[in-house]
Amino acid sequence: MPYSVLILDDDVDFNSLLTDIFEQANYIVTSLTDPLEAVEVFQDTQYDLVVTDHKMPEMTGVEFMKRIKKIRPQVPVIMVSGYLENDTIRELISEGIGGVFLKPLNIFSLLERTIELIEEAKKLENTPQGEDGMLEVESDMDAKLGFAFRSFPCKTGISTAFAERLYSLRNFKSTLSLIGEKGMHYRSICDDIRGFYESDAEHFVYLSNGSFDRAQVLSLIEEAKKQGAERITCVLLELEKMSKEQKKLAAALPKRDGDFSEVDLPLRTIFCVNGDLDSLFDEGLIDENLYILMGTAEVRVPPLRECSVDVGVMAQQLVVEVVREKGLNEIPRFEKSSRDLFRQHKWEGNYEELRRTIRKIMDSDPGDVLALSVVKSVMQVTKAASPRALFESYLSSHQVDLVRAAAVLFGGERPKVASFYATDTNAVAAKMQ
Amino acid sequence: MQQHRALILRSNRFLGSALVDRGLVSVGDLEAANEKFMDAIQASELKRASILNTLLFELKALEETKFLEHLVEEEGLGLIDLSHVDLRSLRPHNVDLSLCWVTSTIPFDKVENTYMVASCYSLSAPVLRCWEELLDGRVIWYGTSTTSMTRALERIEEIHEAEDAASAEEETSN
Repeated sequence: MPYSVLILDDDVDFNSLLTDIFEQANYIVTSLTDPLEAVEVFQDTQYDLVVTDHKMPEMTGVEFMKRIKKIRPQVPVIMVSGYLENDTIRELISEGIGGVFLKPLNIFSLLERTIELIEEAKKLENTPQGEDGMLEVESDMDAKLGFAFRSFPCKTGISTAFAERLYSLRNFKSTLSLIGEKGMHYRSICDDIRGFYESDAEHFVYLSNGSFDRAQVLSLIEEAKKQGAERITCVLLELEKMSKEQKKLAAALPKRDGDFSEVDLPLRTIFCVNGDLDSLFDEGLIDENLYILMGTAEVRVPPLRECSVDVGVMAQQLVVEVVREKGLNEIPRFEKSSRDLFRQHKWEGNYEELRRTIRKIMDSDPGDVLALSVVKSVMQVTKAASPRALFESYLSSHQVDLVRAAAVLFGGERPKVASFYATDTNAVAAKMQ
Repeated sequence: MQQHRALILRSNRFLGSALVDRGLVSVGDLEAANEKFMDAIQASELKRASILNTLLFELKALEETKFLEHLVEEEGLGLIDLSHVDLRSLRPHNVDLSLCWVTSTIPFDKVENTYMVASCYSLSAPVLRCWEELLDGRVIWYGTSTTSMTRALERIEEIHEAEDAASAEEETSN
């Protein structure tokens, strides 16, 4: 019996093209242009797969997918769109999208992926608890979180509790401490905190030991003011690596003491440290003042080994990031055994190690499916990587920071930054965004 | 008291976090209390360095009855009014009175191998750890009010002073 597909696209021409493609491939097609109508029809009809556009007037494809996933989460969804932001793709993946296809369309890949997804879904239907026994728990978790959170997919209780705690502390008055282990992705976590506020007047500035001094902070504050900031949150990355002088400044910042007494905007500070406060205090890496200041509102960032189910999704998100960077048309997917390997690995270097591993995998031109053999060999090589390779990987994963630092040095003049890195201004603009 | 500086910092930091985590004070109030606490630390007025006292009496951000109720209902602690306890010298147990002052804690009785210990800082893990390591035996914790604690500590000070005076007198008569 042929499978049934629901196609939703408000562009009548493209909708009719998609309908032709699927009908020719022997699917029973319902084609609709209105997302609200599509939700109603989906509610009353059994479909084997849904194909949707993203940009539509009544609701976006992501919103549409969330609505129908609440009705029948097991039905796979494919998104076909002209252009998608990186964040949208990440969101789609964490919502459980089956495939993302960018126009111009590769029809053969689309049809191949369609049959793959339908067959996978049928297989799962016949397995009471799902392939790995986790699916019910995962969909419960999705429904629980009522706000956007990208740095952890929140498929586990630990990462969900972390996200909820951060959300509950979003209105912290002057300091918040993120206490984690080496290799954590503090910047993404702080981007999530920034995302909790709708107002454009909330500005976050990021500072690390290479870029944190009085003049730099004051210049960033001034720049933020020009852009309409009404409150500034300074994120101090890897505070434990900062010099004594920088730590003094760090303690003065949230209180607007000393060098910052003339700042006329509310200032807050997020301290990001690797290691718990007591150990840092005992080792003399933070003084009494910082110890108490940082203890006011502290949140422990869960290491990757404690939220292994999240790792598979994070890995897929990183793949998407590389796909976007390289301008590839299709997003390779992990074999189940590869995902299992990712979940079992200890990830002592946390997110940075995961990022390095994914980049290596993608650099090896692995094809559409990321097979266990490729993943295994890359993980072994990464473990034994030379200092040069590790440094290259560090530079590659900190591209945005480095470009931003150069932009500050050159007073925001993009042509100068482009010339410094021997690239063009478009590439600089892309990184700055 | 200077020898207890690190413990004072640690026990107060943990108590502050515990009060916020349990919804007894807001992060804003804790920030204000921390500032006053650090002023006292930096002025080396360690007896004044108490986040609990600051929250209760200076900022009035926490009601003591509410705090004690929480200890009983949520933490399962018993309460004790030390004014009704026959307090004795702490010297036989090798307990330093300054440690009692900085942790607002008194071991007030011992039955066989079990110590009864009253504390205003029973929500602070470093205080519990420090006393449980120090006392050689099992510990049963009690909550008490800050007034009861201060009076009890003053009474023990008097007991120690009387002991000192008696031993000085004994030395003179010998």
